[in-house]
This record gives sequence, structure tokens and C-alpha cells, in this order.
Amino acid sequence: MTASQASVVLGPGVAEIAGAPPLVYRDVALLDRPDRRFNLVVEAGTVVAAVGDEGSGIGTLGALALGLLAPASGSVEVFGIPIARLPYYDLLVFRRRLGYAPQGDGLLQNLTLKDNVALPVRFATDHRLREVDARVAQLIDEFRLRTIAMLRPAQASEEDRRRAALARAAALNPKLVVLELPFVGLTSRAATDLLENVSRCDDGSRRAVLLTSRDLTPSVRDLVTRAVRVVDGVAVEDTK
Amino acid sequence: MLRVLINQIRFTALQAIGLVAFLAAILAFLVISQSIRQLGRFGAVDNLGTIMVVAVIRELGPLLTALIVVSRSGTAIAAEMATNRVMGEVTALEAMGIDPYIYLVLPRMLGAIVSVATLMILFDAVALVSGYVAAATSGMALSRYTAIVLKTLSAKDVWLTLVKGVFFGASVAVFCSYHGLAVKAGPTEIPQAVTRGVVATIVAIFILSAVFVVVAA
Repeated sequence: MTASQASVVLGPGVAEIAGAPPLVYRDVALLDRPDRRFNLVVEAGTVVAAVGDEGSGIGTLGALALGLLAPASGSVEVFGIPIARLPYYDLLVFRRRLGYAPQGDGLLQNLTLKDNVALPVRFATDHRLREVDARVAQLIDEFRLRTIAMLRPAQASEEDRRRAALARAAALNPKLVVLELPFVGLTSRAATDLLENVSRCDDGSRRAVLLTSRDLTPSVRDLVTRAVRVVDGVAVEDTK
Repeated sequence: MLRVLINQIRFTALQAIGLVAFLAAILAFLVISQSIRQLGRFGAVDNLGTIMVVAVIRELGPLLTALIVVSRSGTAIAAEMATNRVMGEVTALEAMGIDPYIYLVLPRMLGAIVSVATLMILFDAVALVSGYVAAATSGMALSRYTAIVLKTLSAKDVWLTLVKGVFFGASVAVFCSYHGLAVKAGPTEIPQAVTRGVVATIVAIFILSAVFVVVAA
């Protein structure tokens, strides 16, 4: 079956393959070693953790999933589409189907936490102002940002910034969320709380989540469907 | 985006009004004072209008206004864009499906265009008044000064000022944004990006001025 036969057109030049897993890494060389190929499938509704040290290759997984980086070899498919092959503007539209929290937080420093959360709803949808406000208020409540919503990122604590970044990642209610080292510096309780929130869709169903991490605490591990250890650019099933 | 546009106009135009008005007043006063003195020796004071309109309003006004905007707002735009790049904010916007050129550059470009065009008109207005003050100190009556200036001033000068405002304003935003967003290495590259942006904009403005002289002729 060709892509054009099985695809659902979402917008100009943007399609998805019906029934395809949300995210697939196929023979991707994460490091400059062509003999080390990374393979991983993130199925719908699952939380997959890629755990690895500095230099293991996990640092590029998020950028590859978003099409911010093109794989040197192999392919990365998001909802069945080789994302790196999309033209720039189609790629921008396509990315609105994903949530992404980069390493650190990626918040815009000149905006309040509330405005950061509102950003994708304001600019990546055709919602009316009232609908935007309602959605933002819902996210602010869900991620417990109400008391600090008007602070700028530099005025907020690391945990609050991370909350805002994850709320922004979930703003468009995506079916797939990619989180880069989301729990560094957070307590185990805060990490599980955030993961619970971000892995739940608006309708209560579970969304697919790929998170990268240096390590997993037992409480976070309990929420993860599948964990793989990335060693020298290769995924090894984590049986711990 | 509207907020960025309003902030850009506030910073670029409103906060620069005093400086532009002051420099316009000084420049026009100096040029007209010297011109009256020199032209008076040859009995050619009637050519004062040509100097006022051609030198001050048509050429020096737009140039000086654009240079003021480059030095105040161009540097800010380049530094802000470079910081956005270094802090990963540009990547975050792209990851959200937001075109960073639309979100970051477009409102600054519109703001710079509106601001430069408006400041040029202000510059011209203040220069005309200051020119009269200079002429009056040399004993010239208001009616004569007005007649001399209006003889040379035409509608073409007004629209040429506005068109220059559009091009100069766009140059400030485009060149400074481009060099700011081109930063890759890290925070230490930000001052270099600011310098590159400002130099490129100044060169572009002078080249555009020359092009306008040729085209308008």
C-alpha cells in the first residue's frame, strides 16, 4: 500500500498513514558510527523512556522526532510520515500534531508562563480569543500554574518552569509528546505528577510519550510502559 | 504578535521622538544659519529653499533618522534575535509549528517601517521650524522663509520621504534580524552579531539613498 493510498490529508501537503505508530526510529545512526543503528517504536497510548548517559545519543532523539534534525542514515517516521522529508512549511503544520518539551524548558523569556502556555494555541490554531482563554485556563489548572502564571520564566522555580513547558507541550492535545530530560532537578513526586498530567489526553485516554532521561526513579519507572537503555547509539531493552 | 508590534513602535518611535527632534532642530539650524551667511554674500538667499528641501528634508533627514533608529533599535533587534537563538527559543517556536520569521521578524519589521516613516516626517517638520528660527535670527521674515521653502518643496518630497521610511525601516529590521538569527556558537557571538547587523544596515541605507537619488531623478 502506498502512502498516498492509505493517508489522511490533514492540510496542504500534510498527511498521516492511518494506523501507523506515532513514532518510529528505523536504523537511525545517532552517533557518527554507521555500524550502530537505533531502532525504536513508540506505540499509541504508551509511555516509552529512552535512558542513556551523555554521549549515548539520546540528546538527538527529540530533534529527530520533530524533524529539527534529519537523520544521517535511516528514517524517523511520525504517524507513518518520514518527517525529515517534509518541506519546511508542511513540517511546521505537521509539528502542531506533536507536543515537545526541549531540554531545559525552551520557554520564551519575554513572555509570562501563561503566555508561554498560550503560545501554540494562539498561533498554531484558528481558535477565537475566548476559546484560547478557556483552553489556557484549563491547562493552567491542570498543571497547577495558577498562582505563578503571571511570572516570567526567570522569576519562576525550575519545577514551575518545567510545569509550564509541559503544559505548553500538551496545549494542542497532541497524540504524541516528546520530552527531553524532563525531570532533571525535580523531586520524584514532582516528576510522577508531571508525567501523569502530560500523558493524559483531554478525553482521558493515554497519549504516546517518548521521554529521554539519564536515569529513572522507581516511581517514574512505574508509569513507563517500556524503557530502553541507549548505549553507544543502540537501544537495549531495559529489564530492570 | 500585536503586542510585539506595539512595543516595537513604542521603543523605536515614541522613545526616539526627543532625540530625533533635537537632532533635526540642531541640524536645520546649523545648515540654514551657515547657508544664509554664505548665500547672502552672493545675493542668493532665495536658494535657501533648495538647500533646505534638497539637503535637509530629502537627503540628510531620512539618513539621520535611519541612523538614529539603527543605533537605538537595530542594535536591540539584533541582540534580541541573537538571544532568542542562543536560548533555544527559535527552535522551540519551530517545534510548536510557529514560523519564527512570522512571529519574531514580521512585527519588528512592521514596527520599524511605521516608526522610521513617522520619525522622518517628524524630523522634516522640526527641521522646517528650526530652519525658520535660524532664518529669523538673520532677519528673515516668516512669509519670505515660507515662500522660499514652498517654492522648492513639492508633493514628491513628501511621498519620497514615506517610501524611504518604508525601505529604511525594513532594512533595519531585516538586516539586524538576519544577523541576530544567524548566531550559532553561543552568547559570546551576540556582540559580533549586533555589530554585523548594524554595519550591514548602515551600508544598505547609504546604498538605498543613492538608488533613490537616481530613481527619483
